[in-house]
Amino acid sequence: MYEKDGEEIFVIDGHVHLWDARQENIVHEGGEQFLQCFYDYHTGFTPEDKQWDIDTYRHYGADKMTEDLFGNAAADMAIFQPTYLSDFYDEGFNTTEQNAELAEEYPERFVLNGSFDPRDGEEGLRYLEHLKEEYDIPGVKLYTAEWRGESKGWRLDSDDAFEFLEKCADLGIENINAHKGPTIRPLNRDAFDVKDVDDAASSFPELNFIVNHVGLPRLDDFCWIAAQEPNVYGGLAVASAMSTHRERKFGEIMGELLFWLGEDRILFGSDYALWNPDWLVDQVMNAELTDEQKDEYGVELDVDTMKKIMGENAAELYDIDIEEKKRQFRDDEITERFDLGAHYGGDAGAAAD
Amino acid sequence: MSGSSAGPAGDAGDDPTADAGGNPTGDVGDDQTDDRRGTRAVRARLDRVEDPELARSIVDLDYIDTIGIDGDRVEVQFTLPTAWCSPAFAWMMATDARDEVEALDWVREARIELCDHMHGEEITTGVNARDTFGETFPDADGGVAEVRAAIADKARVSTQREAIETLLDAGIDPEQVVDLDRSDVDLAGEAAHVSLDGLSVVVDAAPLDDYLNRATESGHVTDSDDTLFLTPEGEPIDADRLDVVQKRSRLATVNMGGQGAVCDALHRARHGPDGPGS
Repeated sequence: MYEKDGEEIFVIDGHVHLWDARQENIVHEGGEQFLQCFYDYHTGFTPEDKQWDIDTYRHYGADKMTEDLFGNAAADMAIFQPTYLSDFYDEGFNTTEQNAELAEEYPERFVLNGSFDPRDGEEGLRYLEHLKEEYDIPGVKLYTAEWRGESKGWRLDSDDAFEFLEKCADLGIENINAHKGPTIRPLNRDAFDVKDVDDAASSFPELNFIVNHVGLPRLDDFCWIAAQEPNVYGGLAVASAMSTHRERKFGEIMGELLFWLGEDRILFGSDYALWNPDWLVDQVMNAELTDEQKDEYGVELDVDTMKKIMGENAAELYDIDIEEKKRQFRDDEITERFDLGAHYGGDAGAAAD
Repeated sequence: MSGSSAGPAGDAGDDPTADAGGNPTGDVGDDQTDDRRGTRAVRARLDRVEDPELARSIVDLDYIDTIGIDGDRVEVQFTLPTAWCSPAFAWMMATDARDEVEALDWVREARIELCDHMHGEEITTGVNARDTFGETFPDADGGVAEVRAAIADKARVSTQREAIETLLDAGIDPEQVVDLDRSDVDLAGEAAHVSLDGLSVVVDAAPLDDYLNRATESGHVTDSDDTLFLTPEGEPIDADRLDVVQKRSRLATVNMGGQGAVCDALHRARHGPDGPGS
């Protein structure tokens, strides 16, 4: 557990992947370009001594992932966000099934989301039911820019998508994580449009819509929509990495988010393995707004705000009882493996030892 | 790769002959000593081309790989921060670059090449063949014009804040600010004269000039009786909502700056700190 100013902060990394981009799994040039683009994000926003080589980045495996997340207690829990990309990768890039390998080994530490694609029609609805039954998924991660045959993407406000959202509501799959961009299609439409979230969120008030990387490069549209739709949340993946080399920009974005959404609707995510919580958590925790930014926005990144952003808000959405988890983690398998007992001693004093 | 290395903006200007050796055709000769005909002139035209998403010059952003000159023919190669950058935006930059370079009176033809992009070949072929976006991408369901307008509108919203701030700082009331029409502002050199019921207030022209350029480009505030300042949706502003509109304008600026930082980091990750030409 992280400690800041003598207070414990329970960290739930809201956005992690277990992907496989090995050459033998790539079946379309888009798969290689996708991975290369990810790698540029990785090196662009990772301190030099923390950067991985490309082979590790292609496939790091469950064991390394476990160590990266929990080895130095950077994160206490993590939420899987699947990305199928089935046209690009033979076995998929980062599917629910691939993620389940690790999620089921340490069920107390992971939340496993599923996914749907409205272009799959009836078969897709059956698959969603199967995911609920098999894994009891509390949410889905959606990738609206995914290529599927001739189609280069879909919209969250389409009739087909609404049918799937209806099914989510019926099945009690409450957390809809929408990825917007990076995408190249649809070609002529504004490719990063987040406006489809608006209609979906107002039509399904019983569902929560978490927009990944806070809508960048459409942060303005995203914030304006979120200001009006109380069930819209911002996932900090990508934005949190801007605390590397671009701390001032990170401060501005946090200022805007706190101003428009407030501290209860912002969720930390490392986007692992784009970035690694084993250094990113510490960096985000230590990021500060400039005096000018504090004046401009009238907000601060104090301990109480960070507690919410780094864990409590995700706990609220995914029904995680943080106090219960702390008790559980005193002697779970992860704690035994990495000798983390002191972190979950039950009070701040023990953690500080 | 042919042609001379572009390098960081401005460095060629220190020595106009420096690029001559890098040109494989070698027939530009004395042209290189003439600012009006060399790579410096081409670069100055390209400097007017913006990455629409960031509202910043593609020269400043270091997207230009090479500029090659062969008599009255100019070849420009450029690379974007990722292979996935929107083809619509890439198309705009490529066609704008072509048109800007061809605006030089000594240039008969400009050939533009988009390198290392998912749709580099299609865009390069389409732009040089003078095809439309729709001809190049038959499966696209509309034109590039609406994307251009949507993007121009972001710049309108973003620049409005400082223009309004300038007027408020000069003591003009919010009620008066939201009531202004285009014809109430007269730009004269470094001063802008703002008419208020017979009174005239003089303020710094630069923020208003920036704003009016962007607003006009976006298709708003084109007629003299058009309302001067608008909400992001293009509606007149209620005086008691001016503060929220100003904050949305700030947000548009933060968004562009934030995305600029992302693009810059990706560009460096892909090409190193000195850009693709290095």
